[in-house]
Amino acid sequence: MEEQAVQQILEARAASLGGGRTARRRLADLVDEDSLVEYGPLAGRGSSVEDTAYADGLVGGVGTVDGHPVAVASYERSVLEGTQSDRNQRKLSKLIYLAQTNRWPLVVFADGDGARPDDHMPVPPIVVYTRGRWDAYDGLAELSGWAPTVAVVSGRALDGHAGLAFLCDLVIGVRGSTIGSRFGDGGLVERGVEDYAARGEIDVLVDDDEAASRAVATYLGYWFDDGGSGEPDPTHDDIGSIVPDNRRRPYDMRKVITALADQSSVFELGAAFSPSMITSLARLGGRSIGIFANQPFSPLAGAIDSDAADKASRFVELCDAYELPLVSLVDNPGYMVGPDAERGGIARHHARPLASLHHRTVPLYSVQLRKAYGLGPYAMSGYGSSRKVPELRLAWPSVESGGMSLEGAAYLVKRKEIQAAATKQEARSIRDTYAEQMRDVAAGVRAGRTYSFDDVVLPTETRGRILSMLERVPRTLPAAKKHPIDPR
Amino acid sequence: MERQRIDDLRAAKLVQHDPARPDAVAKVHRTGKLTARERIAELIDPGTEVEYGSIAAMDPDGHWVAEAGGIDYVATIDGQAVIVSSTDYTDHGGGYGAGRLERLFALAREHRWPVVFFVDGGGSRARHPRVGMDHVELNGPYGPYQLFDGIAELSGWVPTIAIVSGPSFAGHASLAGFSDVVIATPGSSVGMGGPPMVEAALGMKLTPNELAGVEMHEQTGGIDLLVDDEHQAIAAAKRYLSYYRDQGSGSPSPGAADIGDLVPETGPYDMVPVVRALVDEGSFFELRPVFAGSVLTGFARMDGRSVGILASQPAVGDGMIDESAATKVGRFVELCDAHELPIISLVDTPGCVTTWPAPVGERADGEQADGSPSTVTERGVTRWHTRPVIAHQHRSVPLFSVQIRQAHDMGSQIMSGSANARSVPVMAVAWPTVEIGHVDGFSATRHVNAHDDVIEPVETRERIVRLLRHIPRSLERPSKKHPIDTW
Repeated sequence: MEEQAVQQILEARAASLGGGRTARRRLADLVDEDSLVEYGPLAGRGSSVEDTAYADGLVGGVGTVDGHPVAVASYERSVLEGTQSDRNQRKLSKLIYLAQTNRWPLVVFADGDGARPDDHMPVPPIVVYTRGRWDAYDGLAELSGWAPTVAVVSGRALDGHAGLAFLCDLVIGVRGSTIGSRFGDGGLVERGVEDYAARGEIDVLVDDDEAASRAVATYLGYWFDDGGSGEPDPTHDDIGSIVPDNRRRPYDMRKVITALADQSSVFELGAAFSPSMITSLARLGGRSIGIFANQPFSPLAGAIDSDAADKASRFVELCDAYELPLVSLVDNPGYMVGPDAERGGIARHHARPLASLHHRTVPLYSVQLRKAYGLGPYAMSGYGSSRKVPELRLAWPSVESGGMSLEGAAYLVKRKEIQAAATKQEARSIRDTYAEQMRDVAAGVRAGRTYSFDDVVLPTETRGRILSMLERVPRTLPAAKKHPIDPR
Repeated sequence: MERQRIDDLRAAKLVQHDPARPDAVAKVHRTGKLTARERIAELIDPGTEVEYGSIAAMDPDGHWVAEAGGIDYVATIDGQAVIVSSTDYTDHGGGYGAGRLERLFALAREHRWPVVFFVDGGGSRARHPRVGMDHVELNGPYGPYQLFDGIAELSGWVPTIAIVSGPSFAGHASLAGFSDVVIATPGSSVGMGGPPMVEAALGMKLTPNELAGVEMHEQTGGIDLLVDDEHQAIAAAKRYLSYYRDQGSGSPSPGAADIGDLVPETGPYDMVPVVRALVDEGSFFELRPVFAGSVLTGFARMDGRSVGILASQPAVGDGMIDESAATKVGRFVELCDAHELPIISLVDTPGCVTTWPAPVGERADGEQADGSPSTVTERGVTRWHTRPVIAHQHRSVPLFSVQIRQAHDMGSQIMSGSANARSVPVMAVAWPTVEIGHVDGFSATRHVNAHDDVIEPVETRERIVRLLRHIPRSLERPSKKHPIDTW
């Protein structure tokens, strides 16, 4: 072999490996040591031997995370502001294609300023194109619901980089990073990832790149589903004491989730968005599951508005697509009512979780801790007659149910008496007495007597009961994609 | 059989008919509206109705008791077998109860019959209005589905058309919310919680229309079509349903030859006349015409073939795609795909914008007339903008893409999907006005301007019509492709 050619390759490779440091550090943090097979390290902005646009601004390849193959890529800001070019997008498309054909997860660090303004296409016939079946956009759309896709927004994601990120199942934002556009004559428009997280566009916020890589590995771990300790949380035995004796006092549902799931296994998605609905991945006896739960300890007291409905619906689709069994923890006063909720489109949005639950095929285990009024129970548990019925509907002794909130019902039924009451205290007493009577009708043992639930169990029995059922349902990924995951 | 049995049965059934309740009928007519039976009579082909569930129970004395709250039929509309139903607010508030609709939903699933129903009312009845504990009920929630999973199951399998004429709250609003299309009359309302519940929960005294008026919903996307009265609502429902079937042929619009004159070199223009000039004469039926007006969605015909029309509307916000426009497109693509309607996409958009709340300091002055908080729009994409991209990737109906002028940002993927998608556009053409070579923040991520041809505007119709002949429409399949997202 010609000495000079070998030398040129070695020098160019060394230069490339020495450049693109940020991207390489990110990928090194993410994948198992010495596991990366890099694609296109010699790609350049142009075709000259002296080209210094290392890896053409996108370092990518196939590595392993905790022993499982993953396609990974990161844009490199020090190379032409991480801009997207014909070459580096073909590289990404190739990786997407590998992920699609092998059902590998794909992770991309989206740090760049959109398309490269002066990108030049290589002149045929010199170059044989390497490309995937799909471009980056439709490739990510194709992966949706087939294999997990994760975007990390670290630095700045403009235009095409933002588009890539928002096509991924999971978007992780490194605090202080921005998303925006540099299109047209409007100059640069950018906003912090925190703003996007608050409106549900970003699922997880972390402090730095290392934390982002850990979050990626944690998220992918639920897809790999290879265990964990399976040990209960130290707070498990006190799970029943989290719900206060006073039925009108709120409590933090996150504590219930922590106590129910395996120790240190909970990974919350969308924490900054719609606080009245909690969505978390977790493990139960080592098995990956998805938990969605109402949050009484939130401004809406667990009521489901359009955002909460969207959040739950998307989470159900995500877990269904990736064959993660669902656990729902129910304590809500129903869907949100009032002019603001109606303006927010609740009459249409409310149907989304109902439809997602109806069409799912993963098992669902639901636990009603306290209340669920109106359509509230269905939003969390689906219908008893759905395509796929809930595997198990449990209630705790503190359960209460009704067509509407018991206080609201009291107000309607006892309206005249309440209005005629001499004092506020008396009015409240009339209301509460009625509510208590109505609660008694559907609470505790009587919830079991009417067979409204498959069983009424003690809080400490819940974990074991679900675990026992879960063991009978092995996780099998279907041979074809069930459905994509709705981004919103 | 004793004659008395027949007479008793007839008498029991007549209770629900209009001649037996002149006061209720007069009350309805005073509001300018139709009774439940008048609505159905105007909707269906005469003499085709088969009524379900007219008798609810037998009372302890052995008398038959009529069902209440509404009427349900299998019938035909323009020869198409359908489930039709109307609530009747003069009869126990129109509350649904005994499982008739559940039963008919199961039949619709079984026989693939579309559903057209009037859904004004206040939700489920607490108990059967004419039946006590010692009555023996005839009807019950028999069949595989309950009410809401029944309508969820129908989504994407048959067209579901809801008409709201009056207040529709709680379960009734939920049925509307699940439907493919919601047609409403002025003054009506659609809401999850009615005025009494809102008063109890939030202490606000509001009329149904103040709380959840369809005029508001027309702006915000909660309904699809606001028409002048019940006659128009019925006509619109029939028209909507007509696109479920193809016709043999159709005539071009009188303006077809001048279609190219409708597009200026620069600046805004109204896309509606362009659509009308392209499709069969008088066949464009726009859906959601007010909500997210920067994109147009609707049905039309091309030489008789039913198609979905998706178009930028440069006359509204320059045709910029915001979150609402993106979701409008995404849902429409799912709708057309489920019902096997080929899509024609007319693309002319400068790109995507994102809506943010106005800075707090500016909100007091900037509050909009309808009381909603003021907002600012900025360039950029969100997750909402990726919804239609994913919908296009997974559709299998053919799509014809016509790029008229510009398609920046994700505009082309949002309107037409990707050139390399699972189901590639059957034809992607451009008019001579197309902007090419323009570099924006997205163009490196796709094969820009991947057009099969550049054609004269006047050639567009014939191209599409010819290709459509090669792609026969078939609704034959063992199960639905996918449900249609309710939002």
